[in-house]
Amino acid sequence: MIQLEQVSKLYGTIIGANDLTVQLPPGAFGIVGPNGSGKTTLINLLTGQLRPTLGKVTVFNQNPWRNRKLLRRIGLCPATDVLYPNVSAYEWVTYQVRLHGLSQQDSKQFAAESLQQVDMTEHMHRPMGEYSLGMRQRTKIAQAIAHRPDLLILDEPYNGLDPVGRYQMTELLVNFSKQGKSLLFASHVLHEIEEITSSFLLIHGGRLLASGTARDVEQIIADTPQEVVLFGPDVPRLIPHLADQSWVDSIQLLSERTELRIGLRDPTNLYQSLAGWISADHLQVDRFQTADSNLTAVFESLLRRHRGESK
Amino acid sequence: MNPLLVLDVIRFELRRSMSPGRAAIWVILVLFPIALISAIRLLSNQGEGNSQAWGLALYFLVPEVVCLLGLLLWATPAVSTEIEGQTWVYLAMRRPGRNLVLVGKYLTAVLWSFSAACVAATACTIIMGSVGGFQLWLVVCVLSLLSCLAHAALYILIGTLFFRRTMVTAVFYTLVIEYGLSLVPAMANRLTINYRLRGLLAEWMDWDEARTVAESIGGQEPAWFHVLTLLAISITLVCVAIVRLTYSEIPTQQEG
Repeated sequence: MIQLEQVSKLYGTIIGANDLTVQLPPGAFGIVGPNGSGKTTLINLLTGQLRPTLGKVTVFNQNPWRNRKLLRRIGLCPATDVLYPNVSAYEWVTYQVRLHGLSQQDSKQFAAESLQQVDMTEHMHRPMGEYSLGMRQRTKIAQAIAHRPDLLILDEPYNGLDPVGRYQMTELLVNFSKQGKSLLFASHVLHEIEEITSSFLLIHGGRLLASGTARDVEQIIADTPQEVVLFGPDVPRLIPHLADQSWVDSIQLLSERTELRIGLRDPTNLYQSLAGWISADHLQVDRFQTADSNLTAVFESLLRRHRGESK
Repeated sequence: MNPLLVLDVIRFELRRSMSPGRAAIWVILVLFPIALISAIRLLSNQGEGNSQAWGLALYFLVPEVVCLLGLLLWATPAVSTEIEGQTWVYLAMRRPGRNLVLVGKYLTAVLWSFSAACVAATACTIIMGSVGGFQLWLVVCVLSLLSCLAHAALYILIGTLFFRRTMVTAVFYTLVIEYGLSLVPAMANRLTINYRLRGLLAEWMDWDEARTVAESIGGQEPAWFHVLTLLAISITLVCVAIVRLTYSEIPTQQEG
């Protein structure tokens, strides 16, 4: 379905995509990466909004930059907000479908159906200026699916949605995927993607760091040296315990001796031992921050691995 | 390009512009020449005698000022507002979206500005009484249409060449080229739109004396030549804008 061969995209001297090579069969895939990692550049390359500086992009065996007919088969829900204050969702979605060249009657019908799918029927004739962020988000999804694309690309679709909206969105995307259609879903929050697909692309700094299923990615993360940070007045007293351990790579005491940064080869050993040390020595540890809670840290670890700086 | 789709773009653009602000701008554009002509009519000692002076005033106020101001507001930011509002990506994701929207916005700008110009010209002609009459009204209306078609194409092109500071560029171009260079008695002024419009005004109003005195800023070419040149300019500029937009890599949003 999607093929990228050594694709790079330069914005002047800034690299948006760096030597991306990936082949994706039909299915659902998550693009995970911190803000500024190159997710949107990748999406823009796939939708023909940007031309690669180097390399070749094909979607459904066609070049999206040269063949704009391809856009009829792609639905895009960008991360950016949409606001035409005095136009209703129904008018706007109908207009968007109509621009694909469908008849007026079909455009109206498709727009109404897609707005119903995102639970916007009740509000679809109200001006968009009166909508909440969540309603605008759902309207954006509606315009992306209204022309019944084969591939749906979403960039941070959960932005602005409340828990109920998130649940509905997940249901919608899961159902879309179950219909045999393809889905590409960019987010910087890993668990949002996990609810919809188990296949990931991890990108950072415009580079593809890892790809595969959640298990593959977890394995990569598990094999990657990680950093754990402990906060509290007694954290220096953990140093004697840690210094003897073979699975500890580095120890750093920071912030007036209240922050202990530990480089680990295998964090599970720390998780097993830490509670015992704290309990035995009656230590006060206020906070515990793992790499898992900080996706950027994981990506930095993966990046070091990508560069060959660590195993 | 499907003309029905272009009509839908025009309909949508007019629909989304139905705001009190836009309506107020339209009314101000109409009232501006009416107020000036009324003031001149009240204060002028020339009475109705100097029809040429009245005609020139009406020409300057309507096909030049009203049309240009209207088009500056409508045609110039046609693409840049979509980019700044981050709505461009939605249009660009439609197969003919880029070109269709450009042509639709161009025609909407022409329609909106021309309607204001026509209403203003009609009211001004009534206020002027028998000075110009039907001939002046008709000439000013046709010149307004030609002015809208050509200037809108020019501003649309500027909008696709400069996605940022579009308005500043268009105003600068208008002042320097259309109001500066077009009045310079040299070959270069023949490249300007206002030179052609002035030539047509003198030709269609049979102002032979004016043409003789100011030949270099109004030209001596026949009317058909001016009209064809203006239409050619309009079509060429819109086509260049379409090509430019087709091959533009427009930033759709902040990189994420």
